Amino acid sequence: MRQLKIALFAAVASCALTLPAAAADGEKFDGYTLRVKLIGGAQYEPLYTLIPQWEKATGAKVEVISRKSHFELDREMKQDIASGNIDYCAFSSHTNFAPQYAVMNQPLDDLIAADTIAGFAPLVISHATVNGELMSLPRHSDVSNLFYVKSLYEDADNKARFKAEYGYDLAPPETWAQASDQAVFFTAPPNRYGTHFAGKDEGIAGRFYEMLVAEGGALFDDDWNPTFNSEAGVRALNWFVDLYSKKAVPAGTTNYVWDDLGLGFATGNVAFDLDWAGWAAFFNGADSKIGGNVGVALAPKGSSGKRTGWSGSHSFSITKQCDNKPAAASFITFLTGHDAQMLEARTGLLPTRVKVWDDARAEFTAKGDSFMVEVFDVWGQSMAEHAFTPPLIPEWGEIANALWPKLQAAILGDMSSQAALDEAADEVREVMEDAGYL
Amino acid sequence: MTRFRRYARDHAVPLALLSPAVLVILLVVLLPLLFSFYTSFSNYRLIRPDSLWDWVGFRNYARVLGDGDFWSAFGRTVLFLTVALNLEMLLGLGLALMVNRITWGQRTMRTIMMFPMMFSPILVGFQFKYLFNDTIGLVNNALQSLGLASEPIPFLVDRWLAFAAISFAEIWMSTSIFAILILAGLFAMPKDPIEAARVDGCSNWQVFRHITLPFLMPFIYIAMTIRSLDVARAYDIVDVMTGGGPAGRTELLWTLIARTAYDDARMGRANAMAYFSILLSIFFTWFFFRKLMAARRHLGAF
Repeated sequence: MRQLKIALFAAVASCALTLPAAAADGEKFDGYTLRVKLIGGAQYEPLYTLIPQWEKATGAKVEVISRKSHFELDREMKQDIASGNIDYCAFSSHTNFAPQYAVMNQPLDDLIAADTIAGFAPLVISHATVNGELMSLPRHSDVSNLFYVKSLYEDADNKARFKAEYGYDLAPPETWAQASDQAVFFTAPPNRYGTHFAGKDEGIAGRFYEMLVAEGGALFDDDWNPTFNSEAGVRALNWFVDLYSKKAVPAGTTNYVWDDLGLGFATGNVAFDLDWAGWAAFFNGADSKIGGNVGVALAPKGSSGKRTGWSGSHSFSITKQCDNKPAAASFITFLTGHDAQMLEARTGLLPTRVKVWDDARAEFTAKGDSFMVEVFDVWGQSMAEHAFTPPLIPEWGEIANALWPKLQAAILGDMSSQAALDEAADEVREVMEDAGYL
Repeated sequence: MTRFRRYARDHAVPLALLSPAVLVILLVVLLPLLFSFYTSFSNYRLIRPDSLWDWVGFRNYARVLGDGDFWSAFGRTVLFLTVALNLEMLLGLGLALMVNRITWGQRTMRTIMMFPMMFSPILVGFQFKYLFNDTIGLVNNALQSLGLASEPIPFLVDRWLAFAAISFAEIWMSTSIFAILILAGLFAMPKDPIEAARVDGCSNWQVFRHITLPFLMPFIYIAMTIRSLDVARAYDIVDVMTGGGPAGRTELLWTLIARTAYDDARMGRANAMAYFSILLSIFFTWFFFRKLMAARRHLGAF
């Protein structure tokens, strides 16, 4: 991971030198110090190497008063809201969690020019809009598709054995039922497992949610009554339960979250991995044991014919308490500008500006990087046609927290899928009652 | 009123000198306590500051009383306390008795013994999370290399192994607290009763059982009281190693309360849980304090 970090920084430093040193609109904020809270982590840091360019162009200084992981930052901002101590101007947000920060979040409609907003993909802008107001500028999007180890799928012996056992050709799965067959087929513990999944926190809640949608279910009905303990819900949860009981995933998968999954897949111990595009360059690079041997495919379909596509976007917001909103607006516009997004797109992070999709793809094509071209094609299609967010309400975090311990209980065999979902539905109902929906 | 005035006049200087301390305690301890107690009767959510005034009476307490997850976490915390305290005491006692016998290099041994106490609990958590990991962990690797296991053992997933893993980490870190306090007791122990017992023909076990141990009991109970408060609010190690999961299998009171308070932002309900949890700490403190007094009385009669 450290090597990856160093490699990323080196790549960014070399790119940064070639980028034009200009802020988006040429505004000046001489002598002003902009206080910001930013999300930290290997995938997110390279963008911040561009901040000195904005400082140079505007005459302002940026003081990063907090740089933490998403969940730590989330806790910190909730405490800021509770204590009323919001002495900063801009912060990293996420479209799926932004509704929680409504008390401190400045709507951007009057601060960001309409033609700037028009440069973003309309679907992503709609995800960043809460109650008709634009709450953040999307930085990059997340949606998961399938990474798989090519050599396993191309192996003639594997193909023959799979066909004999399951009666259809071995190819990257088109449905989650096929994915399940293949996971069991490829499993040979302790050296290889078919797949793995995020097994705790919002990770498993989100994975269940997208499977629920793909199975034709829904979290809530129109009146916010929980409906995920339906037949579709049980089918969705059983996908995880079956793989766990057949030992086609590592036993510790219920403790895994994103880094465990990404690093685990890169060791080559897993046949396929549903994961975020931000890992693409790393998986296929020199630091990965499967570098050059990675294929990508659209996330499979559930029994309803719909593909999984739990999505959301990392974004930047401005606080209502900010004493220089134009400066903050200029800053977040700069960090979500064309050049900034190109920088992130080179590592596989999905741009939110339409033009960056085309330009990044053209750049990969020119460099002959057919893997990244394929990644952009697959994820581009996914973002355009299959992506959906959880309900954009402040309670999403609480709902996820009510869900995941029960999902784990079913996966580990402590209770049946139906009982687990029924108990979770009772808890979620209580959350919705307390929040005034029911 | 006149009595109060007279009292205030007669004791003006002591009262004036005491007032800053009283004021500080009021501000630092009592006010937050009262505030959190009030919020436990409200629907207070961190992300909605105005919900502070949303009075819900005993609803939070009623829900906590009927919440199976809370009571399993409560029971598990009591079990965790019992296992960790007893094993720490036994291991600490053994360690102290052995170190007490060393005649050369004892100071170095005492310092080395304190090493685990010097680590931050978060680092200890990460250390054991890595050791017990099912795919890349040292323990699993060693077991498989030695041919003792053919498949990875899910130390942090299995119900009892996960509980044993967090207990192991806690015990590893804090056994030396018992050892140091018991060692202090051994140093302070008069030699005459032991020599007299030996002259009377007592065996080693009889000397330990009837002289050394009763003398050490007050030290052990002091260590128990301090550690019971520590373990009752165990959070860091467990949060890092398992986060209370999977499926609540290692959920302790404070991992549950912290998640409710900060991740769910339901501070009112979390405070209601916290007030139930304080009862546990009060009970253990009272219990060990009573034991301490009894042990002292016993020693006095000795």
